[in-house]
Amino acid sequence: MTLSHHPSDATLAAFAAGTLDEGRMLVVAAHLAACPSCRRAVRLLELTGGVLLDDVAPAEIAAGGLDRVLARLDAPEAVPASAPVRRQPVDTAERPADGGAAADIRGLLPAHARLLAGYELGPWRWVGPGVWWRQVDAPTLPGGRVFLLKAAAGTTLPDHTHTGTELTCVLTGAFRHEHGRFGPGDVDEADDEVDHSPVVEPGVECVCLVAMQGRLRLNGLIGRVLQPFVRL
Amino acid sequence: MAIIERTSDGVQDFDRLIQAIATRQDRAAFAALFGHYAPRVKAFLMRSGTAADLAEELAQETLVTVWRKAALFDPTRAGASAWIFAIARNLRIDAARRQRREALHAQAEEPEPEPVAAPDHAVVTAEREQRVRAALDHLPGEQRRIVELSFFEGRAHGDIAGLLDIPLGTVKSRLRLAMNRMRTLLGDLT
Repeated sequence: MTLSHHPSDATLAAFAAGTLDEGRMLVVAAHLAACPSCRRAVRLLELTGGVLLDDVAPAEIAAGGLDRVLARLDAPEAVPASAPVRRQPVDTAERPADGGAAADIRGLLPAHARLLAGYELGPWRWVGPGVWWRQVDAPTLPGGRVFLLKAAAGTTLPDHTHTGTELTCVLTGAFRHEHGRFGPGDVDEADDEVDHSPVVEPGVECVCLVAMQGRLRLNGLIGRVLQPFVRL
Repeated sequence: MAIIERTSDGVQDFDRLIQAIATRQDRAAFAALFGHYAPRVKAFLMRSGTAADLAEELAQETLVTVWRKAALFDPTRAGASAWIFAIARNLRIDAARRQRREALHAQAEEPEPEPVAAPDHAVVTAEREQRVRAALDHLPGEQRRIVELSFFEGRAHGDIAGLLDIPLGTVKSRLRLAMNRMRTLLGDLT
């Protein structure tokens, strides 16, 4: 699969460095699942991190540090009773990707189903004509939220701007706006200067995974009518 | 008594030390890895804003994780430094969410469709790290600084813009230029 729209290098670097919040990490991971070239970029960044690690001036380790660690090596790995079930792709590779609560999304890539299976999903809620959303319980920075947005084929989403940033990965279907066509795996990275009015392609509904900081601001008449109902 | 293996130029081959742990639980190899990496992981984490006590704890945890996961180490994908960097990074990330996030990063390690022939990996790793280092050294200073800050400062790019007193767009464009340069020079490594 060759994708047209990728996360910015700044976002990929933050992913590799581990400085993204989990919500945006999840969106980037959904893109990486479909994008070999960004997987290569992240590995290049990790190689860079390794070189920077090798070159850093060493700090002093407290006396006896090695002995304490050696003493731990034979102890069984401590797993707190409340630890979440490990959801490494290696563990799930042989299981059918039922995707848990995401199973009702038709045409979901198995890798996307596995990613979403690690999270609690809320019920679908009506946003506006042809548009639904459901909460994803991934932690975010304060003022952020992660959700799935589902729009019926042919829907024109209200013209909107953002009060913060929005990172979107298409999971199924496709939409278009002035920056092009966004199909499964494509990422749309918008900030508060982007003003757009996406149109879902005819034929198939479009489901997106969205990590948003701030809120949507709807423009135009339809938007002003809808705004009181829309809690996004 | 383990043999601490060295490459011909006298540099310790950390990849082989990790493999010695994987194949025979070699504690001398572990001690050598600890001696090199624990102080660096601690320093790296402290530069990212982690307090010294926690950085020390996480450095120890990183090396314990190296011991436990040594069998998963694949030197054809990343050398010891990059692998240990990724372990330390994942440990630094909010511990409560750690395992979930590791799964997200594992997404970047999905097998590639076209398998690459694996030549003698020790040579490959040493050469790979040399080339990454050389590419970093050839970046204009302002671009290299942004790359380093992305890792060391552990902060969002907006904060880096504030730190350097330059617009966010400049941070992003410098990082893009740096990444383009590195992709061009190093695209065959990954």
